[in-house]
Amino acid sequence: MSHSTSGCNQQNSTGTLPRQQHVLVGKRHHLLVRWSHWLNVPILFGLILSGISIYWAAPVYQHKPNPTTGNFDVAADIGTWICSHVPRSLGPGMLASALRLHWLCAYLFMLNGMLYVGGLVLGGGWQSLLPRRTDVFDAPKMFRYYIGFPFAKLIHRKWLHPRFNTKYNALQRAAYFSVPVAGCLSVATGWAIHKPMQLHWLAAIFGGYNAARVWHFWLLWIYILFVAPHLILVFADGWDTLRSMIVGWSTRVDPPAVIAHDQ
Amino acid sequence: MKKPESFFAEQPPQKIEMAPARLHQLTRRDVLLFGAGAVATLAGGGFLLPQETLSRLGVRRNMGSPGKEWLLNKALRIDDDVAEALYSGNRKVPTYTKSQITPLKNNYNGATPDPGYISGWNLTLDGLASGLCISLDIRNLTTRFSMHEQITRLVCVEGWSAIAWWAGLRFDDLLRAYPPISQAKWARVESLVNLDDSGNPEPYYMSLDLATARHPQTLLVTHFNGQPLTVDHGAPLRLLVPVKLGLKNVKAITKITYSAEEPKDYWAERGYSRYDGI
Repeated sequence: MSHSTSGCNQQNSTGTLPRQQHVLVGKRHHLLVRWSHWLNVPILFGLILSGISIYWAAPVYQHKPNPTTGNFDVAADIGTWICSHVPRSLGPGMLASALRLHWLCAYLFMLNGMLYVGGLVLGGGWQSLLPRRTDVFDAPKMFRYYIGFPFAKLIHRKWLHPRFNTKYNALQRAAYFSVPVAGCLSVATGWAIHKPMQLHWLAAIFGGYNAARVWHFWLLWIYILFVAPHLILVFADGWDTLRSMIVGWSTRVDPPAVIAHDQ
Repeated sequence: MKKPESFFAEQPPQKIEMAPARLHQLTRRDVLLFGAGAVATLAGGGFLLPQETLSRLGVRRNMGSPGKEWLLNKALRIDDDVAEALYSGNRKVPTYTKSQITPLKNNYNGATPDPGYISGWNLTLDGLASGLCISLDIRNLTTRFSMHEQITRLVCVEGWSAIAWWAGLRFDDLLRAYPPISQAKWARVESLVNLDDSGNPEPYYMSLDLATARHPQTLLVTHFNGQPLTVDHGAPLRLLVPVKLGLKNVKAITKITYSAEEPKDYWAERGYSRYDGI
């Protein structure tokens, strides 16, 4: 993430190191974390597609029926648009197919969650995700940096990246910590509405069967809200960051460590 | 090097030196593997989409295959097994007060039957230990068995639900009075008066495991909200099984058949689950 580190590669390649030109690489993501990260893409895609189709069987948000189409569902207004513009979507009236796909993806999602937790524990990455007290002040600084960055570029002004010496910055920690939490809540609310009789205590935690359905529906938007900036920032940040999620290591090692190495 | 202060402190990353050529080689290998995986997932995931969605995408060819059906049905079966493992005969479903009752719509899938059938209505029991085929009218049922009331939630596979006040006899009491064959594990509950969309007869049949039939809250209902059942809600006798989805709560039951083998199920034949435990 830190932009100053691209300079240290140059240092290495311009011969700071004797004889063989070696690069210093740091382990960034455990194999299981990488696998579960990428497996989440098709699984969440399947869950969202089939989930919206299931929602349309009994929409929660309704308005007065449209006199010409008879439609009364707020999401169907959006849904009709999506179905006509995004042909890959599962439309309404396909409940049986949508349910089968949803169960398949839901069980895979839970198994994948275990892979992810395994990777975090084995790779020792879980500590990096924990929010810290200082994040309350550091997160707004990062937010200001991200928002201001494109404007600073436009007017060719220097825009300094806030300094930090942890794996993730405060805003990344907030995002990468809340998404697994949302995953757990999605699974919990999913079970609550899937088995509202045998697990009625679980539905009661979320305020009953109907409320748990609403929770489950809105949790879906957390993933969509997360994915948009996540994609933009990965591409803005460059190849090293994307590669680290595929290959596992990064050539960006923190500045203090580089100095120690060079000595 | 500074040691981590606590269990929760971030660990410093592992660092290794690597020749740039090696780095290049490893990157190329992993990125190529990743690309192959992504293409395979895209193809495999697309293949799993319902035919209807694929046709909308412009795929003319029939992409249905036994393998695809097997995989998707396997997910349904696993989910059914989980539901069966979760079921407990001792666990009661939550009950509500009269002030919590919500409206319940007439959810006949096709046309609502003409009430003419009610006058000659009989419940037939088959697959009994006695080897006989028993016919009971509504008076037999309401006078011979004790009536039970309950206010429970009925949950539809579509996601909506309704809290309603029901009264009827326990299925368990009927099973005790007319015991099924000893090997019986299943009941086929059917309604011959069911109609399709255009009003033509279309029998509705549903499989119910006897463990669920014996649940104390599984009723053969005669009254809804304090009144005898109307045609909308399956007069004169319907099944109320709150531990199952609404589609198992057969209206206007005409016949119950006990068997050792799992009987056919109307909605399972249309791609839904068979067990439907909730």
